[in-house]
Amino acid sequence: MNLLEEPTEGSVIFEGIEYGPGVSDSKPKRGKALDLRRQVGMVFQQFNLFPHLSAIDNIALAVHSVTGKSKEEARERAALELKKVGLIKWAMNHPAQLSGGQQQRVAIARALSLDPKLMLFDEPTSALDPELVGEVLAVMRQLAETGMTMVVVTHEMGFAKEVGDQCIFMEDGYIVASGGADFFDTCTNERARQFIGSVL
Amino acid sequence: MEDRPRINFMWHLVWDFRSELLQGLVTAINVSISALVLSFFVGLFFALMRMSRYGFLRGLSSTYVNIFRGIPALVSVIWVYFGWSLLFGYNFTVYQAGVIALTLLYSSFFAEIFRSALEAVHKGQREAGAALGMSRIRVFRSIVLPQALKIAIPNIGSMFIGMVKDTSTFTVIGLGELVYITQSINAQYFQPFVLFTAAAALYVVAAFVIDYLFRAIESIFSYPRQSPVKRFLTRRKRAQVQRLVEANS
Repeated sequence: MNLLEEPTEGSVIFEGIEYGPGVSDSKPKRGKALDLRRQVGMVFQQFNLFPHLSAIDNIALAVHSVTGKSKEEARERAALELKKVGLIKWAMNHPAQLSGGQQQRVAIARALSLDPKLMLFDEPTSALDPELVGEVLAVMRQLAETGMTMVVVTHEMGFAKEVGDQCIFMEDGYIVASGGADFFDTCTNERARQFIGSVL
Repeated sequence: MEDRPRINFMWHLVWDFRSELLQGLVTAINVSISALVLSFFVGLFFALMRMSRYGFLRGLSSTYVNIFRGIPALVSVIWVYFGWSLLFGYNFTVYQAGVIALTLLYSSFFAEIFRSALEAVHKGQREAGAALGMSRIRVFRSIVLPQALKIAIPNIGSMFIGMVKDTSTFTVIGLGELVYITQSINAQYFQPFVLFTAAAALYVVAAFVIDYLFRAIESIFSYPRQSPVKRFLTRRKRAQVQRLVEANS
């Protein structure tokens, strides 16, 4: 959705600008991928923190290179974001010195430091120990409460049920069922019910 | 019984000619350092070319690498020094010829070192940089390259030791490096065993020092362990972060 995977057809419309090749035979893309990515934050399943940088520098590098703020200012911003996810004491630690949950929280802080208008979460808790899932979900829940628009791909059905305003159930790349915040109670699709029943 | 001549090792020659021998080593290292810097950038260039999306550039790069990796230093320097002069009428100085010859050879090794190091950096790193909206150049410079250098530096160190040793063949063009000096002292005193042993010892000492220096450089790029060198280089940044941590906790 932020064009990391180049779409072969179709497009993403964000804030009135169309990105991607469009439906075949239509006009070529109008917005650049880079412009879209600067407005859309992304959190990966494997965290993808930069291992050669400390937690604070992971964030500061993004701020410095994307917004053009000085390195000092970027670090100040980074510190604020780390504080929000409760990791300011770990600012100097490298990713290898943090737990999975802490790493993912740094990754969330890194994405938020660029003031995104939308956040994408690609299975943010799938690579975590069950014990550490809670702390990451807590940060995400907090973020949802601030009104951030979030697109979350997850197997955490409890979380989706609680936080989701729109729910989509996908299988083999196709949308099988969808619904609003009450999706989990009202969904009639057999396959989706089966999945929800087995996980919840 | 055969009358064996008494062997007279004139070890004092090593001490007598210490400044000449050291000067030879310094010349060898000078040429090697120039060639190291050039090979670094030329090698990186060819590594990037080899990873290009254009087949033509990849082919050009691998042809270059395969040709120059296979040429001995002696042949390379004769080519550059005599060949260039015969073909184009331009004479390099012996120093220039040595640097160019080494660069031609070692940039091809460096290209391979960099290629494997760049490929070893996880794909997710580039994706994360792109997802944050960083430009391709910025992703390369601040994310991929520092991680690749950490992988490449030990190999570059070994290559540099090889470069210093390969300068010994530049005797043929009359470059005043260690073997050249050793040969000219030997011509006067005929003490090959003594003099070449001394030369060998100097090469080994140089290799130890180079190894030590490259370990220091490597430590700057290593993580999460912070070496004293790195701590010194980043002291101001760490002080700022320390203040920020205190202010925010």
